[in-house]
Amino acid sequence: MEMMIANLAHGFGVALSFHNLMFALLGALIGTAIGVLPGIGPVATISLLLPLTFGVEPTTAIIMLAGIYYGSQYGGSTTAILLNLPGEVSAVVTTLEGYKMARNGRAGAALAIAALGSFFAGSVATILVAASGPLLTSVALSFGPADYFSLMLLGLIISAVLAQGSVIKAVGMVALGVGLGLIGTDVQTGQQRFTFGIPELSDGLSFAAIAMGMFGIAEIVLNLEKPEARNVLKTKIGQLWLTREEWSRAIPSVLRGTAVGSVLGILPGGGAALSSFGSYMMERRLSRGRNEFGTGAIEGVAGPESANNAASQTSFIPLLTLGIPSNAVMALMVGALIIQGIQPGPRMVEAQPDLFWGLIASMWIGNLMLLVINLPMIGMWVKLLQVPYRFLYPSILIFCCVGVYSINNNVFDVYITILFAVFGYMCSKLKMEPAPLLIGFVLGPMMEEHLRRAMLLSRGDPMVFLERPISATLLGIAAVALLAMALPNLRKGKETALAG
Amino acid sequence: MRISAKDMAAGLFLILVALAGLYINGGFFGIGLEEHSLGSARRMGPGYMPMLVFWLLMLLGLLVVAFGFVSGPDPLQKWTGIEIGSFVAAIVVGLAVWYISPAFGSYFEQTYNGVGLGALVGFLVLCFAAGWQMIGFVLAAMCIFALLLEQGGLMFAIIGTVVISTVADPDHRARPLGVIGVTVFLLGLCWWIFIRELDIRVAVWPWSY
Repeated sequence: MEMMIANLAHGFGVALSFHNLMFALLGALIGTAIGVLPGIGPVATISLLLPLTFGVEPTTAIIMLAGIYYGSQYGGSTTAILLNLPGEVSAVVTTLEGYKMARNGRAGAALAIAALGSFFAGSVATILVAASGPLLTSVALSFGPADYFSLMLLGLIISAVLAQGSVIKAVGMVALGVGLGLIGTDVQTGQQRFTFGIPELSDGLSFAAIAMGMFGIAEIVLNLEKPEARNVLKTKIGQLWLTREEWSRAIPSVLRGTAVGSVLGILPGGGAALSSFGSYMMERRLSRGRNEFGTGAIEGVAGPESANNAASQTSFIPLLTLGIPSNAVMALMVGALIIQGIQPGPRMVEAQPDLFWGLIASMWIGNLMLLVINLPMIGMWVKLLQVPYRFLYPSILIFCCVGVYSINNNVFDVYITILFAVFGYMCSKLKMEPAPLLIGFVLGPMMEEHLRRAMLLSRGDPMVFLERPISATLLGIAAVALLAMALPNLRKGKETALAG
Repeated sequence: MRISAKDMAAGLFLILVALAGLYINGGFFGIGLEEHSLGSARRMGPGYMPMLVFWLLMLLGLLVVAFGFVSGPDPLQKWTGIEIGSFVAAIVVGLAVWYISPAFGSYFEQTYNGVGLGALVGFLVLCFAAGWQMIGFVLAAMCIFALLLEQGGLMFAIIGTVVISTVADPDHRARPLGVIGVTVFLLGLCWWIFIRELDIRVAVWPWSY
């Protein structure tokens, strides 16, 4: 316990440096902005800004990127409440009750509880991340390569199971992603695989190019294809505070939401969206105001908003302690760390204490900044919404192009981005989820390394995955998850949750 | 039988990729180029993991197609005649231009400029169909960026990209002043962020390096 306090103190020392504070603020601002703006989300933004983080230190880079992620959870609720327009997927449930509250003249209360609940949840989640680090890393150090392989496989399976739409297609996308990760030079033998003699491919496909093409550019094209009408804000915001009765109803929801979000965020494939849906379902069943759902129940805002913020922070836990990304955003963080020369994994907590504890401290500071940014400055963000999309998308396009080019100073990467934009467009038309592909792409090479090592140690015996208890347990959970999705009841449940 | 055409197309795509991969890699009953040695389970060669992954992909593709027979109905979006026509024309013209691009100047023999020109023309041909215009103009804009950046400098690349991408939006076509505005804004913003603050290594004007 004293160790944790000492470490946290060290972390605050790192996080409170002027440089890191500035970047945390920048991340929070950008995150809120993209959360408010529909049509661009944290995945596209982080992949856009990834190349620009090369020039800064790894700790600073991750602080900013993390700020963008949890900042976007704060921003998404603003438009959900005021305009019935969710800026983020995780804000979809907030539109259900939040917009109704705004129509009833309680917009201020909704906004206030969204921000305050998120702050509380964020603080709790930060403590969880801090506590989990040393705990999980000591567990992970007893992992052998077979266990790692099974853990990564579990992560991939769960992210496919919890993805929208068909599970089988999502697993297929994972496999496709792993396959794409194979392009390049085989680390162990030095042989070029699937490079077709193209020298630029000898290091593999550019991760940022794939991410930007599939998430950024494809998104732009899809948004252009279906123009959304945006209602000009007519609802008055009113006072940014709650009545006593609203407080007493909201507080249990915040607590429940924090718990739900913290747990679901850790789960691979979980993340903010799933947590907000899960919390919404829970509040509909359990809360005191459940009969008011549909007419503007404050629990429907308090719970999900706390949940999504808690999840956005606890989803860092598998990344920081085990090196496993639990969702697409975390996959991008892995990419960012690898590019900076840091190997994510259990050794990272000891090897990079500045990064780990600094990031944790900065998360809490970021939450505090966001509280200020979101409550008093809300008028500014609403103005931002009035920028027509036709001015935004050329800007996003340019940033994509320049960003991708600047990674390797090579236009080849721009062409790869174009190729993956076409592919991403095709995938969305065929309802194939892109996020599992990205996670597979990131984890594939690591899995291959562990598989090889495991096979070498076991002298070619594949039963080693079932003989080692940890590995067997993990594979068992993966099998259960896959089979469970085959049960129609659970599948319907997931579909209702995801359909909002 | 409720056929989901989207699922079947998706599954077919996965199967095709798997077959292509196995063909190149090896491990497919001896058929194919067999470029990478497989090794054994104990000492895996470079081709082992690809073989596993592509067999898995093929299996998954088959499962998706199989489930596609009952998970529908989910028909594919219908392509109009002009959309099919411009799609085929785009591919043909694009490849043709790539092939003959050295005839336009030695510039197009360097690096990937020939590919870029072919892609640019191809995407512009695609824009003959109204349904393809969004993706056509946006990607043509990116091709212009790739073509202009190294020789023409960042500023001209941005101008070219913005102008072409704005054609995709009907609001822009009605109000061209907005296009000029956003171009100037982006020129300034990019200069400030990329050149002044981040100092990335890119030519700003054609005469820069």
